[in-house]
Amino acid sequence: MSDNEKLVLALPKGRILKEAAPLLVKAGIEAESAFSDPDSRQLRFSTNHPGLDIIRVRSFDAATFVAFGAAQIGIAGNDVLMEFDFPEIYAPVDLDIGHCRLAVAEPADLAGEDNPARWSHIRIATKYPEITRRHFAARGVQAECIKLNGAMELAPSLGLCHRIVDLVDSGRTLRENGLVEVEHIANVTSRLIVNRTALKTRATTINAWIDRFREVARAA
Amino acid sequence: MNDNEHKGLLPAGLGDMLPPEAALEASVIEQLMARLAANGYDRVKPPLVEFEESLLTGAGAQMASQTFRLMDPVSQRMLGVRSDMTLQIARIAASRLRDVGRPLRLSYAGQVLRVKGSQLRPERQFAQIGAELIGSDSVEADVEAVLLSALALRSLGIETLSVDLNLPTLLAAVGSGAGVPDAKFPKLHDALERKDEAGVRALLGKDHAPAMELFVALLRMVGPAEAVVAKIAGLDLPPAARVEAKRLADVVKRLRNADAGLKLTVDPVEYRGFEYHTGVSFTLFALGVRGELGRGGRYVTRDGEAATGFTLYMDTILQAVKAPAAKRRLLLPANTAIAERQRLQKEGFVTVTALDDVEDIKSEARRVGCSHALIGGAVVALSQ
Repeated sequence: MSDNEKLVLALPKGRILKEAAPLLVKAGIEAESAFSDPDSRQLRFSTNHPGLDIIRVRSFDAATFVAFGAAQIGIAGNDVLMEFDFPEIYAPVDLDIGHCRLAVAEPADLAGEDNPARWSHIRIATKYPEITRRHFAARGVQAECIKLNGAMELAPSLGLCHRIVDLVDSGRTLRENGLVEVEHIANVTSRLIVNRTALKTRATTINAWIDRFREVARAA
Repeated sequence: MNDNEHKGLLPAGLGDMLPPEAALEASVIEQLMARLAANGYDRVKPPLVEFEESLLTGAGAQMASQTFRLMDPVSQRMLGVRSDMTLQIARIAASRLRDVGRPLRLSYAGQVLRVKGSQLRPERQFAQIGAELIGSDSVEADVEAVLLSALALRSLGIETLSVDLNLPTLLAAVGSGAGVPDAKFPKLHDALERKDEAGVRALLGKDHAPAMELFVALLRMVGPAEAVVAKIAGLDLPPAARVEAKRLADVVKRLRNADAGLKLTVDPVEYRGFEYHTGVSFTLFALGVRGELGRGGRYVTRDGEAATGFTLYMDTILQAVKAPAAKRRLLLPANTAIAERQRLQKEGFVTVTALDDVEDIKSEARRVGCSHALIGGAVVALSQ
């Protein structure tokens, strides 16, 4: 049971982790040295807090670990939260990092002549089939989603489909692939997320971490 | 084409319960029902299947998408398989037990079937156990429902039980008191349900700043009950919301007086699953158990009677219950007298009688999973 008592913080690899690192330091969390070693194969890391461990997983998985209570707290973008819509996740703090937006993009030449009002069905390549389906269903369009895990921007030029739904940061990748952003779906930032049961059964400990991250995010 | 070649494959969310879990579930249900009976709750047993419209009207409408339907060849009407038992109990109270004096205390245990499992509860069939206290609007009734559910679960040895008190009516009272239009409520509930502070701010920020400040304050409040109740009392709530908050404070105070050791938290913005609740509600958790052990709260029956109660879910409870140590199992030679068997059973052995004469009774005992064998009239423990 003692290992169960430990809190696990699930962090997403990659872009968000880079931005989250300074926040962790300000929140007083220092991971063991293997955590910042890119060659390390370790997956779970201890911290300067004996009651807190860190795991490093893919961004979609951070939410899954927290939803199932395998990790009690974590960081996830609200794109991931919107896609899964887990009822067991609370997202109490907007960390104000990982800013980007979720948008529909299509080839520039198509954008000129297209009339979205006439659509009844469209095919879209995306990492976010649920968000995409919901977004288009809300205006009466049926979206057939082709699930891709990366390099979405290739899909239109190779004829896989005409349109994509993807995260857009500066818009450079889109431009370089001859795509333009035609519709904005949602703004994305990273959130501190918390497992529902963990918050209810260990309210004092978890609230202390929530408050700490809230202050760090506000000060940043 | 049917590629279901393997006869062991079952539909998603359905499973065979094997030894020892099947016996454990039965004994846990029996213990819980005994605890409810000892507190004056009489057991009722509604049928598995009912007419669709009686199952799904009023508060039942929210279960419509979770209910399996069948066509009844006899009445030529549509039937529904129950996906929740609470409404059946309310129906019994309003019909056949209409003339019984109030308050009416009823308990039930039975299996329910759901169209879809959730990610956290993939089971589509599981057992529900519950108690309903019908015909009283008093604070004492709220307190009784919470205490009884906690008492029943702790009698199973679930020491880390934690009761989260909720007040689903508070949100509407705060919202309409502060002038938030009804159209914003669904999105507001979604944001509050996720404790998505940024979402609440974005939704109410421009036009409803005072309401936004109240909701953000409430959203941050989850924690130990007394502390949260004091914080709520410090807010500048609309009058209707203050009445709700006062009721919650009363319940917390009386619960604490009745049971000083009970772990109580309050989360004033919890709403999902409480859409039809009309007062103090609660959710039961335990450390290390995924999901809720049960939930309950105040509602109004179809006939307008005030009622409260709770439902416990066996799939999660079994995660929290330790299996009792296995009984000693004793292999008896074939033709052991009945009286001898009964004597040994009284001593606490489970007896298994060999059907044929065996040469090496010790190895036979091991083969059939016995810990002991009767050899020459004496009980011999087998080394593992």
